[in-house]
Amino acid sequence: MSSISELYDVTWEEMRDKLRKWREENFRNSEQIVDVGEELINEHASKLGDDIWIIYEQVMIAALDCSRDDLAWSCLQELKRQFPDSHRVKRLAGMRLEALERYEDANKLYDSILQDDPTNTAARKRKISILRAQGKSSEAIRELNEYLEHYAKAAFCLEELMMTNPHNHLYCEQYGEVKYTQGGLENLELARKYFAQALKLNNRNMRALFGLYMSASHVAASPKVSAKVKKDNVKYAAWAASQISRAYQMAGRGKKENKCSVKAVEEMLESMQITMS
Amino acid sequence: MHEDDSGVTKKRTLQLPSMSVPLSSHEMGEVELSCLAYAKMYLHASQFPRCSVNGLLLSSSAAGGAVCITDCVPLLHTHLSLAPITQLALTQVDVWCSQTQQRIVGYYQANACASDSSPTPCALKIAEKIFEQCNNAVLLMIDGEKMFPGCRVPPIVMYERKDARWALKDKHTIMLRQWEETCSIVNQLFSSGDQALLVDFDSHLDDITKDWTNQKLNAKIMELVSPANGNV
Repeated sequence: MSSISELYDVTWEEMRDKLRKWREENFRNSEQIVDVGEELINEHASKLGDDIWIIYEQVMIAALDCSRDDLAWSCLQELKRQFPDSHRVKRLAGMRLEALERYEDANKLYDSILQDDPTNTAARKRKISILRAQGKSSEAIRELNEYLEHYAKAAFCLEELMMTNPHNHLYCEQYGEVKYTQGGLENLELARKYFAQALKLNNRNMRALFGLYMSASHVAASPKVSAKVKKDNVKYAAWAASQISRAYQMAGRGKKENKCSVKAVEEMLESMQITMS
Repeated sequence: MHEDDSGVTKKRTLQLPSMSVPLSSHEMGEVELSCLAYAKMYLHASQFPRCSVNGLLLSSSAAGGAVCITDCVPLLHTHLSLAPITQLALTQVDVWCSQTQQRIVGYYQANACASDSSPTPCALKIAEKIFEQCNNAVLLMIDGEKMFPGCRVPPIVMYERKDARWALKDKHTIMLRQWEETCSIVNQLFSSGDQALLVDFDSHLDDITKDWTNQKLNAKIMELVSPANGNV
């Protein structure tokens, strides 16, 4: 069986950089991480310098995802040896126990972390994950509420996230979705504004575009709005519809199988046509 | 005198032909699940093992008699309970169905937590909406614990509408023709790497050049279905 470097004709530096990219972008492509990481560790450990520890962590978590307990165990051993009293490594040991469904043992480990450091949110989050895995959702929610005691609702969390990450179009868009789901005229108008903001940050965010279209349409259709508000929202929705059409036209170009989606969107937009009363 | 306030004319809602033909007694409640529908649901759940996934079940058969689920459309793997994208997806699938002479006859979901295959409030809500248009609609939950190679039982739990609630269907009314062959086809898709072809609506929104109707994958699956079996 040939190595990754042979198969893909990559150098060890490229493999290392790929792992870093996946770390930074929080990709959870565990099979790939295991393939690349395992080879890097086995063949090029000495060249990696201090990077090796974070790679051990990354590969260990991916190994748990792929049921590679052998690999997870060896990564964990290296980390334990290097960082004998680390809470971070303890948490990894806990994750391995979770993967083996030894929840009692995992909880004991997390509790010992929390005894030392009650503000350790990582350990708290793992405990909540265990409750979810065991199907104890109401207890998980209770714990989560305690953990989130400074935040009242999901919307509030997203507000915090947006404040600290003002350029992140995804949070904006998700906030719009939460507001839309909560419903009611005020929330729909807010939703529309946040979808619009998400689009300002990334004009290719299709969810935000559709969200803008749908929320503006609903506001325009509401009997409670003034003529001006209705007129404005009809304009926003029409703009969104044209952007959507354009995006699908461009996407459908040349690909036969996309004709279905393009047609579906066109008909949908047509049938939800907004007209001035 | 009140002003006409309807700024939006929705010509299309989730409109499906209503069930006017009574079910004959010996076909009462029978549901047939095609290889194509089963394979794509399974692939969808496998593609996002850590997420809850859902989708719609379609039929190309006429209304009346047994429910034949001939295809499915994988919808979401994120935020299943947020409204806008679900509404959007339902509308688009509805439009596509009318273009292709299909009907929406059910809903499927696989929970992120494999040990819990009970329908969530979101699942019940969507199934309810489908039931409004199709009175023998089915709600299908995928049983994650039974999704392992060599499992002899289909990883499926089906619910139907009875006495104003969703009740477990009698296993004997669920037909999966050529079960062994279906399993082998799914295995072949994994070994050839074709399982990666599956596109759900969520993935389509991330990249609209991707085809959520899965024409390519459908063709591959139909190729594997042996011609001798005819309508699978």
